Amino acid sequence: MSLPAGHGHASRRLLAVYAVAAALLASAPFVAGWFAEGRYWLDVLNNVGLYALLALSLNVILGDAGLFHMGHAAFYAVGAYTAAILNTQYQVPVLWTLPLCAAVAALFALAVARPVVHLRGDYLLIVTIGMGEIVRIALVNDVFGLTGGANGITGIDRPSLFGQRIAKPQAFFWLIWGFVALTVFLFHRLARSRFGRALNYLREDEVAAEGSGVPTARYRLMAFALGAAWAGMAGALFAGKARTISPESFNVGESVKIFAMVILGGAGSIPGVIAGAALLVGIEEGFRGFANARMLVVGVAMVVMMAFRPQGLFPVHLPRFRPADLPPPPEAARTEEPP
Amino acid sequence: MRLFLEQCTNGLAVGSIYALIALGYTMVYGVLKLINFAHGDLFTYGAYLGMTLLGSLVLGKGVGTGAGLLLLAVMVMGSVAVIGVILERVAYRPVRGAPRLNAVVSALGASIFLQNGLMLAYGGSPRSYPDVLPQTALSVFGLQIPVVRIAVVLAAVAMMAVLYFFVQRTRLGAAIRATAIDPDAARLMGIDVNRIVMLVFVVGPALGGAAGLLVGLLYGSISFTMGWSYGMKAFTAAILGGIGNIPGAMLGGLLLGLVEALGAAYLSMAWRDAIAYGVLILILIVRPSGLLGERVADKV
Amino acid sequence: MKNLVGVLSLALGLAAGPARAADTIKIGMIAPLTGAWASEGQEMKRNGELLAAELNAKGGLLGKQVELVVEDDGGDPRTASLAAQRLTSRGVVAVIGTYGSAVTEATQTIFDEEGIVQIANGSTAVRLTEKGLPLFFRTCPRDDEQGRVAAAVIQKSGAKRVALVHDSSAYSKGLADEINGILKSKGVTPVFFEALTPKEQDYSAILSKLRAATPDIVFFTGYYPEAGLLLKQKKQMGWNVPFVGGDAINNPDLVKLAGKEAAQGFRFLSPPVPKDLDTPEAKAYVAAYQKKYGEEPKSIYGVLAGDGFRVVARAIEATKSTDAKKLRAFLVGGLKDFPGYTGKIAFNAKGDRVGELYRVYMVDAAGRFVLQP
Repeated sequence: MSLPAGHGHASRRLLAVYAVAAALLASAPFVAGWFAEGRYWLDVLNNVGLYALLALSLNVILGDAGLFHMGHAAFYAVGAYTAAILNTQYQVPVLWTLPLCAAVAALFALAVARPVVHLRGDYLLIVTIGMGEIVRIALVNDVFGLTGGANGITGIDRPSLFGQRIAKPQAFFWLIWGFVALTVFLFHRLARSRFGRALNYLREDEVAAEGSGVPTARYRLMAFALGAAWAGMAGALFAGKARTISPESFNVGESVKIFAMVILGGAGSIPGVIAGAALLVGIEEGFRGFANARMLVVGVAMVVMMAFRPQGLFPVHLPRFRPADLPPPPEAARTEEPP
Repeated sequence: MRLFLEQCTNGLAVGSIYALIALGYTMVYGVLKLINFAHGDLFTYGAYLGMTLLGSLVLGKGVGTGAGLLLLAVMVMGSVAVIGVILERVAYRPVRGAPRLNAVVSALGASIFLQNGLMLAYGGSPRSYPDVLPQTALSVFGLQIPVVRIAVVLAAVAMMAVLYFFVQRTRLGAAIRATAIDPDAARLMGIDVNRIVMLVFVVGPALGGAAGLLVGLLYGSISFTMGWSYGMKAFTAAILGGIGNIPGAMLGGLLLGLVEALGAAYLSMAWRDAIAYGVLILILIVRPSGLLGERVADKV
Repeated sequence: MKNLVGVLSLALGLAAGPARAADTIKIGMIAPLTGAWASEGQEMKRNGELLAAELNAKGGLLGKQVELVVEDDGGDPRTASLAAQRLTSRGVVAVIGTYGSAVTEATQTIFDEEGIVQIANGSTAVRLTEKGLPLFFRTCPRDDEQGRVAAAVIQKSGAKRVALVHDSSAYSKGLADEINGILKSKGVTPVFFEALTPKEQDYSAILSKLRAATPDIVFFTGYYPEAGLLLKQKKQMGWNVPFVGGDAINNPDLVKLAGKEAAQGFRFLSPPVPKDLDTPEAKAYVAAYQKKYGEEPKSIYGVLAGDGFRVVARAIEATKSTDAKKLRAFLVGGLKDFPGYTGKIAFNAKGDRVGELYRVYMVDAAGRFVLQP
C-alpha cells in the first residue's frame, strides 16, 4: 500500500524548502569571497554542516528509535581517531578512510550497545554517558599506544578529492555540505523504508511493535550501528579539517550539545535537527564574547522548550490518514446488500 | 599494608561525600521517579557558596571554632536547599505528567544553566579555600591520617545518622517513604504529595550542598566541573546501593569510594574514573536493583 | 531553516564587510583567556594591549595603526585549533602565543599552512622547534635547558633517591624524560617515574605511593593547579620530603591553592619573574603596566608574550613589510641582541631563543617567590 496523499504533500513542500536552502547555500562560497570576513563565516557554515551530520546521525538513534543516547561523541571520536591513526601511521588518504571509519564505529556501537540495549529511558541515558566517558578516558590514557594520550594526534593530512587538496574553507564547504545533502537524501529514504517505519513504531510502543513481529532488540542495535557509522564518517571529515584531534573534543559536553540540537530542533525530523544544529552553532558564534552566557541561554531554552513546545522547533510531520486515503472498495462488495 | 590502610581511609572520606550526594539522587528518585541531573551542580553551588562565605569578613574570623563551622554549614545547606526548591518548581513541576524524555531534557537544561551561571559568577579557573581546618596529620596506629580527612568523615556520618533517624523514626520521614512506595496511595492517606516533593528537594540539595562544603575543606580547591564528575560517581553509588533506597545510597557511596581509592592505588590512577563508570554499567546490566534494592526493574 | 541560516550569514557578512576597512596592521594573539590557565592568558592579553597602545601612540607601524586581535584557546588543543583558524581568516600578519606546549602544537600546522609567523611565549617542549617549521619562533626557553638545570639542582641537593612525577602532557612528560635521561647519564636512576591525571582533586593515591617509595626529593614537571594540590595534600599527610617543580608551576596562584604553610620551602625553575627583571627598560615597563592595570605583572609568560609582540613589531619596521618570509629572514639573521624586557633576544635557525634563562626560585614563608643564587 502506498503512503497517502497527505504525506506526499508534506514532502512536496519540504522539497521546495530544500531547494531554496540549497540554492542559498550554494551561493554562499561565492558571496563570501566578496567580504573581508567572508572566510570566517564560511568556516562557521562548515561547522554547521559537520554538526548537522552529527545531529542527523544521532537523530536515527534518538529521534527515530527513541533511544536516550548521550554518548554520541564517543562514536564521533572512534571515527575521528580511526581516520587519524590510519592517516598518520599508514598514510591512508583521509577520504579513503571513510568506509573504514563507518565500519569501525558501527562495530564499536554494536559491541557496547549489545549488553545494554534492553535498558529503558533514564538508565540507558546514564549508561551511554558512562560509556562516552570511558571512551574519552581510554583516549587520554593512550590505549593500545595508538591514541597519543592527552595531546591527541597531530599532523593529519588534508583530504583530497580527484587530486585536489581540500584545505580552504570554500573547498571544505562543498565537501561537507555535499555529504550533508547525500545524508539528507538517504535518511529520507530510510524514513520511508520498512526499517525506518519499524523504528518509529518501536519508539512509540515497544510492546505492540514486538507483538507485531518487529525484532526490537535487533532493530535497536541496528539503529545504534547506523547512527554510529554516520558519526564515524563525520569524525573522519573533522579529522581532515582540524588536522589535530584530542580527547577533549569528544567529551560529555559535546554529546550534550548534539543531544540538544536534536531535541531542540525536533527529534525525528530531518530538517528539524539540521535547524537545531544551525541554531546551536549560531548561538555559539553569535555570542562569542559571552562564552558562559550563551550556554546559559541554551540551558534555559531546553527547560522552556520542554515546558511549552517539547516536540521541538520543526517537529516531524507524521502522515495522517483520512478516509479519502483508503483504497476504493472492490466492485463485488459495493453491490452486496447488507444482511 | 600501609598503602592499603591509607587508601582505605581516603576511600572512606571520598565515599562519605559520594554518599551525601547520592542521598539527594535517591530521595528525589524515590519520590518522583526522576533523575535530578542538576543535583551535581547543586553540590558545586554548596562548594562555591562556602568559599564565598568563608571569604567574607563576617564569617572569616570566628570560623575556626566548631560553632563557626556549624553556622557556615547551616548557611550553605539552607541556601542550596532554597535553590533546590526553586529548581523543582521551575524545571520539574511543569513536566511532571509528560513523557520521560521531557523531564530528562528539562533537567539537563537546568544543569547547563546552573553550571554556566556559576562559571559566569566565579570564572573558569579553580578556586581555593582558606585553610580552615588544621592541615596536619594525626598518628593513628602508625598511620599518618590527615586531620581534614577524619573531620570530613565524622561530619558526613553525623549528617547521615541524622537523616536516617529522620526518615525511619519520624512521621514526616514515614510520609516520605510512603510517597516513594506509592504516591497515589499516600495521597489517599492524607499526605500532601506536593509538600513531600518540596521537602525532598529541601533535604536532598541541603545534603549535596554540605557535601560541596566538605569537599572544599578536604581538598582546598574547587572547580566548576566538580558537579559533573562527582555527580556521576554519586549517581553510580545510588544505583549501586539500590536507587530509591536511603541506606543503600549511604552504603553505595562508601563502597564506591573504597573501590575507587583501592583501584587507583593498585590498578591505575589514570583509569580511576573509568573504573567507576565501569562499575555503573556493570551493575545496570547484571543487577539493576542494586545491593539493597528489592524492587526489580519496572525500569528495565 | 537552512535558508534562514544562509540569509543570516549573508546579512552578517554584509554588515561585517564594510565595517572592517583594512587600514590597520593586525597582529594576532592566541591565549588561554578561559580555562585552567586563564590567569596566564589574561596577563598575556594585557601585555599585548599595553604594548599595542604604546606603539600606536608613537605612530603605529609603517604609518598604520596596529590592531591586536585576541582569540581564546581555552587551554585546550581543540579550542585552540578552532581559534587559530579564526585568526587566520581575520587577516593577521603574525601571531603571538600560546601557553602550553600541547596547545601550541595544535596551532602550529594551521599557522604554518597559512604562512603566518608564530611566536610562542609559553611552550617549552623541545619538539616544537624540531619539526622544521620556518615561521615558528619562541621567546621562552626550551626544556633541554630546563632539564639540565633541573638535574643540576637535584644533584646539588645531594639526593640519592629521586622521584619524577609528570602529567602525561607533551610538555610535562618531555621535561620528565629530559631529566630522567640526564640523571641516568650521571649514574642516578630515579626510584619513581609515574604520571598523575591533571584536573583532578584527589592526589592522595599517588602521594601515598610516592611515600612508599621513600625518595629524598620529588621533582614534579606538571602545571601549577596540580602542584598546588600536591603540596597541600602532602602537608595534610604529614609528609615532609622536599618537592621541586618546573617552570609551569610559576604562577602566583600556586600559593593560594597550596596554602602558605604548605608552599613554604618549595623550589621551582623559571625564567626570571617580572619583579626580578633588572634592566631599566624592564623596570619602566613594569611601572607602566602597574599604572595602566593597577597591579604589577605577575607572570613572566605574559611579559614573554609582550617581548614576542615587540620582536614582531621590530621585524615589520626593519623589513618595511609584513611578508612572512622577509620577517623570518630578519628574525633569524637580523635580530641581534634585541633588548627584550626579559633579557637579550636572538633566534637561531630553528626558531629557538638563544641564551640561558632558567633560574631557581623558592617560596618563602610569606608566599613570595625568592630568587636563589
